[in-house]
Amino acid sequence: MSLKSGFARALTICVAAAVVMLALDSVVNVLMAQTPFGGPRPSGAEPQAGGIVGWLLSKQSEFYHQMSSTIRAAKSDGSAVWTLLAISFAYGIFHAVGPGHGKAVISSYLVANQETARRGIVLSFASALMQSLVAVVIVGICAWLLNATAKTMCGAERVIEIASYALIAAFGARLVWSKGGGFIRALQASHSMPAMALAGHHDHAGHGHDHHHHDHSHAHAALHDHAHGHDEHDHGHVHDEHCGHSHGPAPSELAGPGGWRRGFGAIFAVGVRPCSGAILVLVFALAQGMFWAGIAATFVMGLGTAITVATIAVIAVSAKDLARRLSGASEGGALVMRGVEFGAAGLVLLFGVGLLLGYVAAERVTCF
Amino acid sequence: MNIAIRRLLGLLLAAVLALGASAAQAHPHVWITAISELIYAPDGSITGVRHAWTFDDMFTTYALQGLETKTKGVYSREELSSLAQTNVESLKEYGFFTFAKADGKKEKFQEPVDYFLEYKDTTLTLHFTLPLKTPVKPKDLAVEVFDPSFFIDFGFAKKDPVRLVGAPAACQVKFQRPNDGAAGAQKIGEQNFLSGDNSNYGAMFANKISVECP
Repeated sequence: MSLKSGFARALTICVAAAVVMLALDSVVNVLMAQTPFGGPRPSGAEPQAGGIVGWLLSKQSEFYHQMSSTIRAAKSDGSAVWTLLAISFAYGIFHAVGPGHGKAVISSYLVANQETARRGIVLSFASALMQSLVAVVIVGICAWLLNATAKTMCGAERVIEIASYALIAAFGARLVWSKGGGFIRALQASHSMPAMALAGHHDHAGHGHDHHHHDHSHAHAALHDHAHGHDEHDHGHVHDEHCGHSHGPAPSELAGPGGWRRGFGAIFAVGVRPCSGAILVLVFALAQGMFWAGIAATFVMGLGTAITVATIAVIAVSAKDLARRLSGASEGGALVMRGVEFGAAGLVLLFGVGLLLGYVAAERVTCF
Repeated sequence: MNIAIRRLLGLLLAAVLALGASAAQAHPHVWITAISELIYAPDGSITGVRHAWTFDDMFTTYALQGLETKTKGVYSREELSSLAQTNVESLKEYGFFTFAKADGKKEKFQEPVDYFLEYKDTTLTLHFTLPLKTPVKPKDLAVEVFDPSFFIDFGFAKKDPVRLVGAPAACQVKFQRPNDGAAGAQKIGEQNFLSGDNSNYGAMFANKISVECP
């Protein structure tokens, strides 16, 4: 009976978890697509060359084009700088919807690590700030100090890009390693549950199923013991919560020491790679003798980017919270939650490897 | 429990799809205004494509960064020659963003020839000729110009975007911009964006030149 309702619940959780995953990377997909997987849209006259994505793209191009003319104008008219900042801010917001701004990595990290929305916001802003800083430092050193050519600068960008992807992959590998444990424990818990329930009905009423004696990683052995009736380690009831409860680590354990260090890892992995758009704007501003305006524009752009990334991160975290609430304390629920975390960790790894190998489209470095 | 695992696999699959789909939302950083000429031999076969690509002023500035010239702000063809060299060498990796089909069969290009850069009105224009590996004489020729990853947004010049040079008189050229709404033009919309296939994502922004020679 409890199993049946457990499965019904698991189904609900699955739906919720699917929402989490979708929200993970791109809020745009969820909010704007009527059919997320490319099926035909239900009737409705859509203007051609459009949809909201097309609109986003055209807006972005518009802002970007305005930026160069505004920087030119700012040379003679100081008030144009304010226009430049406003455009940069808008551009940052629109621009971050595209790949290469750490949305996926940050959101996946948050979901994998049971982070709070507040921390998601902090991470988003910190990584965007770092991206802006790196762009300013690259252009400042390469173009302003050394007057290096675009080819040289581009080489530097490429090295940083590869380092960033490798960092993301390494970061993902670490997450997978730590989340894999929780997931396997949850799997084992769910694995041993039905057997115990069954056994309990027959002849184990007083035994208390003390699997606690065994290490969690040996659940199969424990089960085996159990089948053979080796219950000599009976300490009564100590681990009753084995039945119907999560074996995964508690949230407090996960956000324990090292949590912030991991957070810095995320900021660094994402933030070390500057945005090509910012580099172009900075070089252009420098050539116009308006480097300071370019720097200001870059940071304002970063602010816009942070807002978009933070929004997506908060949605990912809230969707996961919702899933957790739906899952309650049920066994299946815990399993699915650990699975979602494990999956999110795996995504970070896949993402890093994919970027490294060029399977995942990212912003290309302007090299030609 | 097997059901749970299957569900999880399903979830992961969904997540990967979602990721792939949104990764496809690339956006351009470089804008090129192109003019293309199709070059024909006296026997009526097409021998190659001659491009003139004008970069936007932001990218122009970026490309010119650190380039020493005799007179500030003036760039001669000679001073730009090494940059032009770099350009065509780098473009090779992307197949010169030019994709040709003769009667439905893919055609390959040789290394570009006659390439040079020209600086005028704060923008750089890259001129280069792409000879076909083997000249062909098809009934239907299709040449598409686009960046599959959509880092570069190719738009053709408003006036005289495409020209035939030395083509038989009977040949008819048609030019289709990515979003001019002509019949058969691919629509830019969520469907394409969410198809999850980002390998050829820029194709919906392709400029299509087609030539019919009876």
